[in-house]
Amino acid sequence: MRKLLPALLICLLAAGGAFAADDVVKIGFFNCLTGQNAFGGQLELEGAQLALSEIPEVLGKKIELVVVDNKSDKTEAANAVARLIERDKVNAVIGTYGSALAMAGGEVAEAAKIPVMGTSCTNPLVTQNKRYYFRACFIDPFQGSGAAAYAYKTLNFKKAALLVDVANDYSVGLGSFFKQSFEKLGGEIVSEMKYNSGDQDFTAQLTEIISKNPDIVFLPAYFAEGAIVLKQAKELGATFRFMGGDAMDNPEIVTLGGDAVEGFLHTTFAYDPSMKDMNPVAQKFTENWKAKYPDKEPNVNAALGYDAFILVIDAIKRAGSAEPEKIRDALEATKDVPTVTGLTTLNETHDAEKELGIVEIRDGKKQFIGTITP
Amino acid sequence: MSGPDAIGEGNNKTRDAVLTAVAAVVFAAALWLASSNLDGYKLRIINLIAINAILGLSLNLIYGMTGMFSLGHAGFMAIGAYVSALLILSPEQKTTMWILEPIAPWLLNVRAPFVVSLAAAGLAAAFFGWLVALPVLRLGGDYLGIATLGFSEIIRILITNLTPITNGSLGLKGIPAHTDIRMSYGCLAVVLFCMVRLMRSNFGNVLRAVRDDEIAARTMGIDTFRTRVLAFTLGCFGGGLGGALMGNLITTIDPKMFMITQTYSLLMIVVVGGLGSITGSIVGAVVVTTMLEWLRFVENPVTIGGVNIPGIPGMRMVIFSLLLIVVIIFRREGIMGMREFSWSRLFRGGSGGGGRR
Repeated sequence: MRKLLPALLICLLAAGGAFAADDVVKIGFFNCLTGQNAFGGQLELEGAQLALSEIPEVLGKKIELVVVDNKSDKTEAANAVARLIERDKVNAVIGTYGSALAMAGGEVAEAAKIPVMGTSCTNPLVTQNKRYYFRACFIDPFQGSGAAAYAYKTLNFKKAALLVDVANDYSVGLGSFFKQSFEKLGGEIVSEMKYNSGDQDFTAQLTEIISKNPDIVFLPAYFAEGAIVLKQAKELGATFRFMGGDAMDNPEIVTLGGDAVEGFLHTTFAYDPSMKDMNPVAQKFTENWKAKYPDKEPNVNAALGYDAFILVIDAIKRAGSAEPEKIRDALEATKDVPTVTGLTTLNETHDAEKELGIVEIRDGKKQFIGTITP
Repeated sequence: MSGPDAIGEGNNKTRDAVLTAVAAVVFAAALWLASSNLDGYKLRIINLIAINAILGLSLNLIYGMTGMFSLGHAGFMAIGAYVSALLILSPEQKTTMWILEPIAPWLLNVRAPFVVSLAAAGLAAAFFGWLVALPVLRLGGDYLGIATLGFSEIIRILITNLTPITNGSLGLKGIPAHTDIRMSYGCLAVVLFCMVRLMRSNFGNVLRAVRDDEIAARTMGIDTFRTRVLAFTLGCFGGGLGGALMGNLITTIDPKMFMITQTYSLLMIVVVGGLGSITGSIVGAVVVTTMLEWLRFVENPVTIGGVNIPGIPGMRMVIFSLLLIVVIIFRREGIMGMREFSWSRLFRGGSGGGGRR
């Protein structure tokens, strides 16, 4: 019996493989389903799965989404993409949350000449000099300059401070691009403070910032640390406003920060369930999401997972073929495709050009204020 | 335990040498066949096995053979990976990658071929290992673990903040994928050869003596501090070399890769294989690396008799952890214990066979 079991397993696996037929378009999906970034990766997966349930076929062939976990780890990300391409023979790949993981996976896809659609990897280096990597999100410089323009022009703030997570590439990049744009517009950066991912006490940095008396503090943090910063700033009696980036776009932030997050602003993708004039795609997405996952709020990660899927399928349709090389060419020509986060155009560096949304927390709820085009 | 076999006859020695040579040739041929026939995914795993084996062996030299509980290996890997990457990248790549702050001018035009960069990576890690060893190795046991852990964190934080040199938390990308089967197994062969010779020499006996009873060793006239520093430095060389190979396999590195979890996964390889056993480290590397990938199938959705069970991400980690627990419960000393693979044991039909050398 003990010897039978492995044999039985092998038979099962072989049988599973035998069902794979030619009339299937395989889309690989690698993302952080476990590990430190799992909250983002899970939402993106659910977004992509929702899109799959709406569009189960393309070119008369069934679409199969092959999901592989990258454990929020670089080595695993490279392995995951290699596995999708070599073993599962996917036509295109979607993923991932976390730019470092996208870079590790992107190198493998580049060598194998398989197109990849990034979900929320916003570091400019991800698509730099890459022929096969695209992304459904905008990049950090774009968001940084948008946030700076909003703070300087719309809110009329002239003095800003920065509080940046030095261990986080996203935070460092976004902070530095905000600084560049804000100074270019004529504003002044009065203080630049740093912290490390996982820190719990920010009172030293906040006291220093308070002494410099800025109008606004730009806080490109992840929501877990961001909420603590906001709490401690309120306790210290800070009167300036805070502004963050899309990584603060999480329903949890109000739960974690309580009334300290009141009045907090952040830039994000042009989608939020609280939006008033939603585009038709976003409306459909929100309705279907609420039907499929009734106990979960949709957010931008879910929307980007959905959008990445739509963009790949759109390219396959326009190419009239599921050949990787043809999908790549079609992706490069993507122009004004309606997605949840607005009309998406992929520019010559393969990054999405789309509107930037502004969200403010009012009365303990996220309020979508409007969009800007930097 | 192995070591110079006192009763080994001349006959057996020649036989063993021939067998070892034959095995090496067969293994090399198998690798050559693999590199031209297997797909990129499988080759990547085979490559990773070699790198993990190098890293496992080097940590085993420190922890298993000499008994120094070190939690700093990830830090030495980081040094190796960065030194090698900075030497390989072209000046054009460097200028486009440092988008936040310009790269330090002296670093821009420094370049070296891959093999030189590997040696430099190992030497740099060994140098820092030696620097750390001087104050830290006066500690023992858990204290040493904590001190080395702290040092590895210091390295990571330095790399994060030295943006003009390391590009900070953005990391480096586009490192040419130099690590192929030939390279990684070439390095593994060299490391393995040195380890086997080292452990069979008198110095190997000295290391074991220091591990088993430091006071007794000192009474016998062994300079235990010097011995430990030397072993630690050699182990760090291996850590730097493995880190450099890893960076060139994944082609992108950043400080977050070298967190304490990286050290833990190496520790897992060493402990599962068997502390103090060279064969064990290699068996450990093979088992841990392949199992983690092979177990991915448990996360796939399965249809059994019309019932569709959706895949649960993270399931393979649960099963993998259970397997580890089973190993530790039933074989506390690891798969190989302290035993080594040897031809004579294989022919005697002893229980220790299975590994390769």
